[in-house]
Amino acid sequence: MIAPQSRNGGVYIQKEWIEQQALEAKEGKERRHLIDFFAKLFKHKGAVFGAVIIVLFVCTAAFAPWLAPYEYDKPDISAVLQPPSAEHLFGTDEFGRDIFSRIVYGARISLRVAFVAVGISLVIGTVLGALAGYYGGVVDYIITSITDVAWAFPTTLLAIAFIATLGTGVENVIIAIALASWAGYCRVVRGQFLSLREREFVQAARILGMSDARIIFGHVLPNALGPVIVMATLELPKAIVIEASLSFLGLGAQPPEPSWGVILDSGKGLLDQAPWISFFPGLMIMLVVLGFNLFGDALRDVLDPNS
Amino acid sequence: MVPVIIVMTLIVFSIFYFAPGDPVSRIAGPNVTPEVYESIRRKYGLDQPFIIQYLRFMKSVIEGDLGVSILQERPVIEMIKERLPVTLEIGLLGFLITFLIAIPVGVIAAVKKNTLVDYMCMSGTLLGAAIPTFWFGMLLMYFFAYKLRWFPISGYGTIRHLILPGFAIGLTNAAVTARMVRSSMLEVLNQDYIRTARSKGLFEKVVIYRHALKNALIPVITLMGLRLGWIIGGSVALEIIFSIPGIGRLMVDSILARDYPVVQGSMIVLTSSIILANLLADVLYAIVDPRIRYS
Repeated sequence: MIAPQSRNGGVYIQKEWIEQQALEAKEGKERRHLIDFFAKLFKHKGAVFGAVIIVLFVCTAAFAPWLAPYEYDKPDISAVLQPPSAEHLFGTDEFGRDIFSRIVYGARISLRVAFVAVGISLVIGTVLGALAGYYGGVVDYIITSITDVAWAFPTTLLAIAFIATLGTGVENVIIAIALASWAGYCRVVRGQFLSLREREFVQAARILGMSDARIIFGHVLPNALGPVIVMATLELPKAIVIEASLSFLGLGAQPPEPSWGVILDSGKGLLDQAPWISFFPGLMIMLVVLGFNLFGDALRDVLDPNS
Repeated sequence: MVPVIIVMTLIVFSIFYFAPGDPVSRIAGPNVTPEVYESIRRKYGLDQPFIIQYLRFMKSVIEGDLGVSILQERPVIEMIKERLPVTLEIGLLGFLITFLIAIPVGVIAAVKKNTLVDYMCMSGTLLGAAIPTFWFGMLLMYFFAYKLRWFPISGYGTIRHLILPGFAIGLTNAAVTARMVRSSMLEVLNQDYIRTARSKGLFEKVVIYRHALKNALIPVITLMGLRLGWIIGGSVALEIIFSIPGIGRLMVDSILARDYPVVQGSMIVLTSSIILANLLADVLYAIVDPRIRYS
């Protein structure tokens, strides 16, 4: 291609034109990458199946007031411990509350806890990992030793320890899960930064005099995000299960909140008479976890250049 | 190893040090005179700076003293000694069941790769990995204890009490492990020495079980070390469901009763054993795989 010539300052404008072309080429390349990525994802059966499940649950949470046939916390003495029927799809509990409506509202708690907790832990882990990997030395040593220990703790136990001091409640569950599960991101991001920081584009950015913050967040981090996104997708179902177990143990959401763990707990003593109370919330946990696992695995397959 | 344990105790200590609420009132109750308050503060060393308190705490931990339960007024270490073996029994049974299921399933799926058998095995593990352990425990309890009456509903004492919770942990853990065995097995089956073994005319069974499986199980050992923490975490809810007096139940009860020394002590014992198990897995890894050397 021939660059258009101009009357004044031809050289300068030519340089600008080249930069413009490079930028457009880059954007086009990125767009092609994105199209390619979605095409692969759509062909992946697991991804589609997982995505459908996830979308179903997200819609359930979003449209809970329209989907739930009854109020989730309204007792009905005339309909105590009813088995599943056309009127009460998933039956009723010992106060005559509709289990289906409670589960529909419970999806809000589960998904909110999962997305917020994973979001916070992702930011903590990514920033720490970026600092450790980019600067190395003492910073790296300190961050790595803390991360190694946090990594050795089982997430559920560490979350329980945080709950012990923070107190129960949904907000504290979010904080506890976030504080207990950032180590994985930190390790992944650090590894990525270690391999990326010596690459030419980073050296070029340094020579151009860019600030460290701009190099870290503007140039290196975008290249390190793939594995982080996969990890976050697979952490979402874990957060859902931890929230449900904590609430089940009485350490998370408190009755009458319709957390799936709380509903499971309320059916524990009535397992023989009314097994449906505990059966359906557990089934929902299983489905949503399956959805996220399928989607996360597929994402890893598609993003991993080796596969 | 030692630095990891030091940082671990530091983290656990900090969690409880920076906990909201006044530790003195926790011990003494809300209505005390300023003199009594001050003497308790001094007695427990709570007037000292953070680092001194931590060093004192470490010193007593090394001496095997984890403090005294506020509620039961007994040494925490004694309570843990009663409860830990119970949790370990469930965990060991869980591991045993994991291996008994995961290895055959993983090997069969790998050998019959991309056949109906493989797809069925892998769908099964996908479902198994999604099942919440505590819910699975309740399902087992409903069918095998309430309906079929094969096992006692809850409690502790005989081996029959442990079978249902052991299966709940073992089956869900087996799902994850079987996938690992399968992929590890597939990798090994592609190696040259397997082709050599086959071309020597060895029976396929010998090739798979004597040559391939042994090597395929090496990475699984590390995974098992990492899964111990998961097993202990999962057994907390199972101990509540099956009324088993393990350390998980002790911890939950103590949190609900705000008996912090017990929670702190249990955390330290549990995490130390998990760190130790990971180290053990690493050592074992080096023993079974002579290519790996730790300098």
